[in-house]
Amino acid sequence: MNKKHWLSVLALTSVAGLLLAGCGGGASGSSSSGGGGANAPAQNAASNSTAASGTSKPAVNSNTLVIADGLGDPQSWDPIATFVIAWGEIANNIFDGLVYRGPDLKIQPGLATSWTYKDPKTLEFTLRKGVKFQDGEPFNAEAVKFTFDRLLADKKSPQLSNYTSIQSVQVVDDYHVIFHLKTVDPVLITKLAGYGAMIVPPQYIKEHGDSYFANHPIGTGAYQVVDYKPGESVTLKANPDYWRGAPKIQNIQIKFVPDANTRMSMMQAGTVDIVEDVPPAQAQMVKSDPNFNLDVAGSPTVSEIRFDTSKPYMNNVDVRQAINYAIDKNAIIQKVLNGYGQPVSTFQGAQSFGNDPNLKPYPYDPQKAEQLLQKAGVPKGTTLTLTYDGSDSTFSEVAQAVQEELQQVGLNLKLQPEDTNTFYNQLIPQGKAGDMHEFGWGGWTLDFDNTAELLYSKGQFWNPDFSNPQITALLNQERSTNDQSVRQQAFYKMDQLLQQLAVEVPLYQQDTIWAVRNSIQGWVTPPDERMDLWDLSYSN
Amino acid sequence: MARYIIKRLLHTVIVLIGISLIVFITIRLTGNPVAAMLQNGTPSKQAIAQLTAALGLNKPLIVQYWIFLRGAVTLNFGTSYATGQPVMQMIMQRMGATAELAVGGIIVGLVLAFPVGIASAIWRGTVVDLFGRTFALLGISFPNYWLGTMFILIFSVWLHLLPVAGDNGFVSLVLPSVTLGLILAGILARLVRSSMLDVLSAQYLTTARAKGLHWWRVTISHALRNALLPTITMIGLQFGGLLGGIVILEQVFAWPGIGQLVIKAIDQRDYPVVQGVVLFLAFLLILVNLVTDLSYAFVDPRVRIGGEK
Repeated sequence: MNKKHWLSVLALTSVAGLLLAGCGGGASGSSSSGGGGANAPAQNAASNSTAASGTSKPAVNSNTLVIADGLGDPQSWDPIATFVIAWGEIANNIFDGLVYRGPDLKIQPGLATSWTYKDPKTLEFTLRKGVKFQDGEPFNAEAVKFTFDRLLADKKSPQLSNYTSIQSVQVVDDYHVIFHLKTVDPVLITKLAGYGAMIVPPQYIKEHGDSYFANHPIGTGAYQVVDYKPGESVTLKANPDYWRGAPKIQNIQIKFVPDANTRMSMMQAGTVDIVEDVPPAQAQMVKSDPNFNLDVAGSPTVSEIRFDTSKPYMNNVDVRQAINYAIDKNAIIQKVLNGYGQPVSTFQGAQSFGNDPNLKPYPYDPQKAEQLLQKAGVPKGTTLTLTYDGSDSTFSEVAQAVQEELQQVGLNLKLQPEDTNTFYNQLIPQGKAGDMHEFGWGGWTLDFDNTAELLYSKGQFWNPDFSNPQITALLNQERSTNDQSVRQQAFYKMDQLLQQLAVEVPLYQQDTIWAVRNSIQGWVTPPDERMDLWDLSYSN
Repeated sequence: MARYIIKRLLHTVIVLIGISLIVFITIRLTGNPVAAMLQNGTPSKQAIAQLTAALGLNKPLIVQYWIFLRGAVTLNFGTSYATGQPVMQMIMQRMGATAELAVGGIIVGLVLAFPVGIASAIWRGTVVDLFGRTFALLGISFPNYWLGTMFILIFSVWLHLLPVAGDNGFVSLVLPSVTLGLILAGILARLVRSSMLDVLSAQYLTTARAKGLHWWRVTISHALRNALLPTITMIGLQFGGLLGGIVILEQVFAWPGIGQLVIKAIDQRDYPVVQGVVLFLAFLLILVNLVTDLSYAFVDPRVRIGGEK
């Protein structure tokens, strides 16, 4: 009896111990890097203020600005290792490119003070003097060369394909570099303002290695990473030697909060100053909050319905135009997006270089649509199919609205939701995505070049069939010159042509919606999602 | 006993190979991840082909699987497509937070389940029992993401008692642990109650009472100890469910654990990370179940394992 008793006690403790060990194996090891350290500002905010009630509470802590980031943890801070917007959103403040593009999308001098094309394929930069990386390492021509050599050598880099026009970078002297290009690349200057082209410190990376750099980034930017907790938050400290001038806010903490409801709760609890990605349905809550402003800007993301012009009926421009007339875009934006979107005339947003602001979208005109369908000889009750990504809940609603509207003009629309990957990786590329299909994307460069090449020249991944000689000519024209006004004219012509040909039904440009505490000054909602925190300050 | 353990470990290897195969194939059914990776850049056909080749995704499946398996044996799950970081390092960075949450959930579950279950059994059919059973039913019925959101609303937004989300030390652990623990508590409380009811009617307890032992002593040291066996089994079995709950709750509470890591990896079709995390969690689950099985022998001497005497 005694022995049995002793045994079972031993057993129980060992079971408990093993259970804990089984799931707690990493606990002691990771608390240093992962979840351990207490975090003063947010914690204070949560525990100090039991009295406040009503909507959100007043400012958290004037020393640290807190941002709830819905895009999440980019997981690597290395400019060439990543392809996510989540990276650009934050890292824009850690690193600089040779050129700078802020929320107004205007290209300005960055780490280079000026640049000239010696010929269309030779580009010389004069570099800014006296700039230092955050660890004190000097910025110079070697750093530029190192950055691009490193990028072009990394075949696994998802950034590589954006910069393939670069043949090599030549150091002239400490403050001059020449880019030798394989092909003319009119978008290169824009691309040098972000992502894979951000300048990295050679000595630091050689000393510590790529993997260390990915978790402990050093750049020349306005803010330096002082504490990165994977999956949880990144804390930034102002760089007092920043070349544009020292930032006004000393500390910024960006918390990764993937769940939209949780982000909104943080706002209501008063523990954040800026909330990224407010769901349209909860925008009203921000509007009625006395401490927050609702900031809305057009995002790079546009949505459309593309026709498969190789299919019967779809190969007839009258039918395609009829469908354009039959769809009420404004009603869709109001109903499905709660009004947080803008109608578009081509497959690009208002901020995109190449968007003709004078070109108006097809008006909603069901009578005209019926006439055109009659002219084209499409019998009433003809059934067409629309395929889309079944996991895209927004588009599912759009599809239902479109179905109703086409019914009005005598077309039956069969809705076919598909698995995301099958849809994008197989059905569209193989031309098996029905008579028409959903399409949506947005690139941070906000230059129509990329879209135009990939969607309107034949044989591209997502455009197996459509082509038009005039469009191809215009595309070649805009790609072969660095003269931006020539390019713009080419794009405007292309826009008109695309609309006449009605290759697609451009639906809307989605808005990005932010909640920003009204005591914060200097905030400009970035249309490319890349925050610029340098100029922020508190009004009090 | 030693033979039994060795046998079980061999089983484990076979199960892990099976799981690795299933994960490997199912994740690949979602198509080439490269197009998804490049969607923010310039996904021309050439770019897709180049990156596919660089990542080794153009090799025959069997070769890719062999590379994956060979690495997995040495806990090397390759590097993430999305970040270039070693997968094992990413798992280890996140494992601590997940473990904290798991332990927190189990503790809350046990602390709630035992008093509720025991009280329900002792005062069977009374108001206490009714409350106990209602508690258990509610614990099982509420979806944890909903419960988590409600707790945030009540305790963080309205009462300002606890932080909304994130990992800021112990206070942050309270809400997610309670959310997780309530579900476990619901399941365990019912089990503790029914096991206790079985035992309480046993003859040896009548004897114990007849000997004049205090009711408390009878309940705790005679009845509860015997009611523990099924409860331990259940904790082991529930570990899988617990992990599932953690994956969801980490999302709600912005908890920097392995759940967020794998959800993001699935979203980005980051094959190596998905493979690594799933295999790692499967291993953990098998280990916990093994430990649970082995513990029977200690808790209940009647259990003879592997036909040994």
